[in-house]
Amino acid sequence: MKKVIAREKLPELWKSLSAQGPLFLPVQEGPVVLFQQWQEGAKINLEATNTAVPPKDLFLPREETYMQYRCKGKELEVIPAEEVKPAVLFGVHPCDLSAVELLDKVYIEQDPADELYKIRRENTTVVALSCTEPDPFCFCNDFAINPADAPGADVVAHLKNGSLLLEAGTDKGKTLLKQAEDLLEDGSGQSFEPGEVKTADFGLKLEGLPENLKNRFDDSAWDELYKSCLGCGVCTYVCPTCYCFDVEDFGHEAGGERFRCWDSCMYGHFTEMAGGHNPRPGRKERIRQRFMHKLQYYPETFGQIACVGCGRCLRSCPVNLDIVQAIQTFGGETVEQC
Amino acid sequence: MAERNLDNIKIIREAVKQDLLGGRISQVLGWEKGHYWWQSRPLFARSEADLEKLTWDSFCGINLSRYLLEELKDHEKVGVLVKGCDARAFNRLLQDNMVKREQVILYGLPCPGMLDYNRLFEEAGAVPSGIAENNGTVILKTGGGDREVKREDVMLDKCRECVYPDPAAYDQMLLSPQGERKAAGRFKPVEELEAMPADERFAYWDKELSRCLRCYACRQACPFCSCRECFVEQESPRWQGRAYQPSENFMFHLVRAYHGTGRCIDCGECERSCPVNIPLQELNRKLIKDINELYGDYEAGLDAEAEPPLLTYRPDDPAAFSEK
Repeated sequence: MKKVIAREKLPELWKSLSAQGPLFLPVQEGPVVLFQQWQEGAKINLEATNTAVPPKDLFLPREETYMQYRCKGKELEVIPAEEVKPAVLFGVHPCDLSAVELLDKVYIEQDPADELYKIRRENTTVVALSCTEPDPFCFCNDFAINPADAPGADVVAHLKNGSLLLEAGTDKGKTLLKQAEDLLEDGSGQSFEPGEVKTADFGLKLEGLPENLKNRFDDSAWDELYKSCLGCGVCTYVCPTCYCFDVEDFGHEAGGERFRCWDSCMYGHFTEMAGGHNPRPGRKERIRQRFMHKLQYYPETFGQIACVGCGRCLRSCPVNLDIVQAIQTFGGETVEQC
Repeated sequence: MAERNLDNIKIIREAVKQDLLGGRISQVLGWEKGHYWWQSRPLFARSEADLEKLTWDSFCGINLSRYLLEELKDHEKVGVLVKGCDARAFNRLLQDNMVKREQVILYGLPCPGMLDYNRLFEEAGAVPSGIAENNGTVILKTGGGDREVKREDVMLDKCRECVYPDPAAYDQMLLSPQGERKAAGRFKPVEELEAMPADERFAYWDKELSRCLRCYACRQACPFCSCRECFVEQESPRWQGRAYQPSENFMFHLVRAYHGTGRCIDCGECERSCPVNIPLQELNRKLIKDINELYGDYEAGLDAEAEPPLLTYRPDDPAAFSEK
């Protein structure tokens, strides 16, 4: 199913879609672009190649309730988590879509599946948006991702000649386009041919990297690589393929809540045991864990490297310590960009 | 390609080389180029070959003094390249007893102000292939020809309002001093916030802080955040909840800012490090302004001997210790 809509009519489309359920899309929030729920007056920014934070929180919210409870004397009332409403996530770029597929392997394609993630994923229609202009930090070409195309999305959208072209890829996608039928025109005469968009090419040698890293846990290169790390969690929180969480209880006399929230392997408390022992006592062990997870452990379990070249760690690490540097350290020759 | 003043780099390399190869220090903290011409990242140089990578250009914004907290555990004596803010950061660590003066050689680098690549891209309308600099102007090299902009206009926020670009502490000053800068607008955003009604001000911070990911980059990059254990991580009692509630975000940022009262050296590393651009300097500068107004002008980190207002006790303190 192929449809087309003129760009100036997009505000009507947003309004119509949000009347049917929450719609999340890239919104200009002061100096940054973030995925946010549409509301009247929101400044939509479809030009931004990458949002500051990936859309993973649509499926793995920063904070998510398992259940709440209320106490009345000795009586305990358990309140289940709120039901997840069907939502639309609009404007996911191909790298971020590939990242969601990597998260699916962890959260859905396992037995048992993670119910909270699964419900959100199933209830969300994902509209991918192909890239026209890569960000200077993008390097998805190194991961064989074509930023101009997004196979696998419920709907793939392209911005072309003042119009938005929409092609449904799944039944969910078809349903969405049908919902907005009144605003969309037939797009069968339009060219949906994906173009080619070139991102930075670091010339990373990824083949054999996971295998190679297997024997390099004690490599002295780690002693050097970690040194500039400040020990903050930026890289993990802006990474679309990082997915760790912590389970916490919050309680007071009248009730409480069990929830999970994002956590980061860059933090000391992440591996701290009762009694105080910490198997990853310092920045070196934590940096090694993060890069080994992306480049060795994940590929060993799921068959592919857990990086999509979105470039957020290249942009946001306060000291420019990023995954490209790690791959360069362990993956042989590369091309410098300056 | 970012144009570099090779003469300056040579002076710096020669100075640190003597001390490093002569065995006076076992490591030098400096900068090397990153993946892109607009990035210079920390360099931990221990050999002559390492020193070949050493650079000094308009992208060396990262404050190196903080690394001393870790590096002095492994090294008897370390050399550090310090800009104005880095030197104040060093004094901060010194006053907090986190470093020992005799373990460090400071090489002073008067700083012209570091450039913000986002502003360069914006001015050029695309990613320039490089820049050149000439006497207060930056020349952006683009496909459509060169474009000249005023240097002041493309500097990092943290450098725009810098008053002390010359290092206040050093063992060797390597380049010629810049002289004190006028920063008339330093407290302007604070004054605007002060003029707001309380509700409006609360709404402003509520919105700004709602973006916080609690990645703690602001804390980790900060020279006054040198506590061995931060209140955020303390389990008993648990001061800071992990939930992403507005109240938890306020808790973190306000406690952190207050903890820096009279201690924040105004280097702006917190704000530069924030991945979602929260205007943290406004919080810090509010407290700097308050200290100036309540205790007289005080610039943290400028003089390691001067007593910080809130870390001093006097028996004749005009305010009573406790009042009922």
